[in-house]
This record gives sequence, C-alpha cells and structure tokens, in this order.
Amino acid sequence: MKNKIKVYRAMRDLTQEALAQELKVTRQTILAIEKGKYDPSLELAFKIARFFGVPIEEIFTYE
Amino acid sequence: MKQNTFYLLVGVVGLVEVGLFMISVSLHNPLIIMAGFIMGAGLVYVSRLMVTDIREDERSRLITQKAGLRTLEVFWIIFFAVSLGTAVIGFSTPLGIPRPREFPHDFPRDQPYLGYFGILQMILLCCIAFLYIAFRIYYARRYGEWDTDEE
Repeated sequence: MKNKIKVYRAMRDLTQEALAQELKVTRQTILAIEKGKYDPSLELAFKIARFFGVPIEEIFTYE
Repeated sequence: MKQNTFYLLVGVVGLVEVGLFMISVSLHNPLIIMAGFIMGAGLVYVSRLMVTDIREDERSRLITQKAGLRTLEVFWIIFFAVSLGTAVIGFSTPLGIPRPREFPHDFPRDQPYLGYFGILQMILLCCIAFLYIAFRIYYARRYGEWDTDEE
C-alpha cells in the first residue's frame, strides 16, 4: 500500500513528531507508515485522512 | 507513575524474589517462592498499567503480539515433545516394559537433584526468554522500530 502522508505533512509543515502527537501514536509509527513498512489499521488510516481533511483514498492507494 | 519509577519497582521486586527464594530453600518450603513469584508478577503487571509517560500504539502492540504468538508457537512444540519423552519414561515402568539400561542411581544426596526433566525444563524456560527477544527484535526491525528518517 502506498501513501502520501509525507507530502501532506510537508504541505502543512509538520514534523513526524508533531503529527504523531496529534494522532496519539509514536513517531516511529508515522515513519514506518511513510516508508511503507507498516500498514495502519482502518481506524488510524481514517484518523490520518480526517486530520488532513481529505478522503482516505486520497492518501492511501492500494496496489 | 513515571517509567523510571516502574523500572525501580521491577528491580525491587526482583530482589525480593531472590530473598524469598533463599528463605524458601532454607525452610524447605516451595510454597513461599511460588506464592511470592505470582504476587510479584501480579504487582509488576498492575503497576505497568499505572505508568503514564509511556506511549504505546497499535504498531508497538502488533510487534508484541506477533513476537508473543511466534514464541508460543515454537515453544509449545518443543515443550510438548520433551513432555512426551518424559511421559514415555514415566509410563514404561508401570506397564512392565523393561528399561534398555538402568539410569544412574549414584547421584550425590547432599547436592541439589532436579532430575533430567527438571533441568531440561529450566533450560527451556531460559530459552523461551531468548526466543521472545529474538522474535521481538525481528518484528521490530520489520516494522521499522529503529529506522531514522530526515524530517
């Protein structure tokens, strides 16, 4: 699964730590998702999409 | 409770367990260390729930779950195989099956004697800890626990 978290994070000028705090996860989790090493749960994926104010399929794409 | 306080508490519990073990041996009473160990483990589990400055999320829980499951999957097979072997020794005598050779009976009585299964069980219990750590490291690496990235 691919994602555009890094792009959206850059657009908002957010650090991984800041995003992690907003989503109540660890910085390593954000890093692992961005690198594609970990696929988040549906709940976390929706939280991320809601945080950036976009539909979930805008951030996550299945391939 | 702070995380450091928790680690301090774990250390104190460990020292108390060593003390209880010594008392248990000197009084020839296994119940002291058995009850003490269960209570100590319970205290550690309860106090871990009270740690406030630790951030655990779904990824770290997944790593713990996967490592625990894999450890159990490997361990129960080995442990069951060893137990089956012990059962063979245990059942062969009452069934009247002659032993291929006699077991040595010249164990010194003034030294601790745990029996073959006891020693093997203790070795396996040590191995389970290392096995869990190995699986924990494997899954932590797989899910990017120690990765670094440019911000």
